[in-house]
Amino acid sequence: MAGEFNDDIFFATIGELNTRLKAKEFSAVELVRAFARRLEQLGPRYNALALPLTEVAIRHAQGVDKDLKIERYRGPLQGIPFGAKDLLSYAGHPTTWGASPYAAQVFDETATVLQKLEKIGAVLVGKLAMVELAGGGGYRFASASMFGPGLNPWDRTRWSGGSSSGSGSAVAAGLVPFALGSETSGSILTPAAFCGVTGLRPTYGLVSRHGAMALSWTMDKVGPLCRSAEDCALVLAAIAGGDSADPGSAHKSFYYTPQYARPTKNLRVGYAPIDFAEWAQPAARPAFEQALAVIRETGAQLAEVKLPDLPYGALTSTIILAEAASIFEPLIVSGKVQQLADAKQIAGLKAALDISATDYLKAMRIRTLVRKQIRQLFTEVDVLLAPTRFGPAPKISEPLDKHASDPKPKDPGLGSALIPAGNLAGLPALSLPCGFADGLPVAIQLVGSAFSENLLLALGKDFQTRTDWHHKRPKM
Amino acid sequence: MSLKMTRRDLAAVLGSAASVAVARAQNPPASQPEDLNAAAKDQLRKDREAMAKVDLPMPTEPAFQFKA
Repeated sequence: MAGEFNDDIFFATIGELNTRLKAKEFSAVELVRAFARRLEQLGPRYNALALPLTEVAIRHAQGVDKDLKIERYRGPLQGIPFGAKDLLSYAGHPTTWGASPYAAQVFDETATVLQKLEKIGAVLVGKLAMVELAGGGGYRFASASMFGPGLNPWDRTRWSGGSSSGSGSAVAAGLVPFALGSETSGSILTPAAFCGVTGLRPTYGLVSRHGAMALSWTMDKVGPLCRSAEDCALVLAAIAGGDSADPGSAHKSFYYTPQYARPTKNLRVGYAPIDFAEWAQPAARPAFEQALAVIRETGAQLAEVKLPDLPYGALTSTIILAEAASIFEPLIVSGKVQQLADAKQIAGLKAALDISATDYLKAMRIRTLVRKQIRQLFTEVDVLLAPTRFGPAPKISEPLDKHASDPKPKDPGLGSALIPAGNLAGLPALSLPCGFADGLPVAIQLVGSAFSENLLLALGKDFQTRTDWHHKRPKM
Repeated sequence: MSLKMTRRDLAAVLGSAASVAVARAQNPPASQPEDLNAAAKDQLRKDREAMAKVDLPMPTEPAFQFKA
């Protein structure tokens, strides 16, 4: 049967796959085998595959088929194959964190999110490549990974984004219907945008991080990369929830309730025109302008806003580096840090040991202001809108900071700092593909107040009923 | 932590280790480590200076026990 699957199945949504499974058009074993084989065959083409789990996946799928046979339904993810960023532990199998010093690391416990997905019948078919240590030390090249640079399925000379590189490219290339990634500051949104898939960063504490590599205890989040906003909702509903094993857990659940979504025309969407007119790279401006027009079409009320004037980049960098230096102190002082692939990351982690307690505390105190002032901003608007990244994926042959010293508009707008600001405040965000620039995907991000995922997903779904960017597929 | 690995896992890890060499080969020539160390320290100094410009009211407590 697997040989009979045509390409459409590899780009189907979770809902479509689940309906066809329940209609017995194919079995879970057939579906899982087809995806697992495709991931094994094509994953290396994009440096997306960290570890194939085909045999164990097929065993799980056999259990799913038994359940389906007796009509024991466990929800929309039952029988759906997926991949997980290689920072999530899977008992008895290597979890490398993308870094060669940890290449042989094996845990005896499975991450909470993977346990949850397994319990409802989703089937893990492989671990996916990532930037080493989720890029916590700061990295200069796309090749900052023991798996090599994440290659973009739309153009393999371009980066797939980081740090959830394999999660983005595997979904984009139809190697898995969805994938789990993680974000400390941009690591779900960036690969989602560069690869043309939909990515959801949940509110801090909504999804358990137990079993996930810690980079920054106060900023790490686990979330999905999928084909659509609706798929993100289905995955979030499965992985969200309190976990006493995660000290950062908010002990809240998420129920996807589109039937109770506020009418879009009642939503106030804040944006900064300069993001679209000046910050955006020229080739990407038509796509971003069109996306803005579509948001207007939904009836949402657009209002110009500005982020509070605070040093978001410096705060993010200080907090992540200070926490990462504490977490990875044994790696740094042992000298094994030298085994990392990216020289800038090595230097960043070593220097981070010198961050003083007063600097860290100052960053955390200013972070209190960030939260307060952004909460105030959300009394004026319901959602913030900006380009996820101002242009398409960079070339893997070029340093990622190649344009860092280029002249920038004087007004910071919203988008230039929305990723660090949103992460500092622990806010949810949704990245939606919105067109192409130079043949590569670009995307917009929607950011909401804490635990407003339903609102973001409703607006995202509305956007995706009016556009078809999320259905586009790269030529393989 | 246990260290049970199947042959398949081992092959995958060895394959991955080989890819480190590929990753390094694909890495364009980097700056000297001394330059990078100095640049990293300089960035920390810039971050400190940026934070110093913020008018921080004395009673402001750190965002400990961070909840969104």
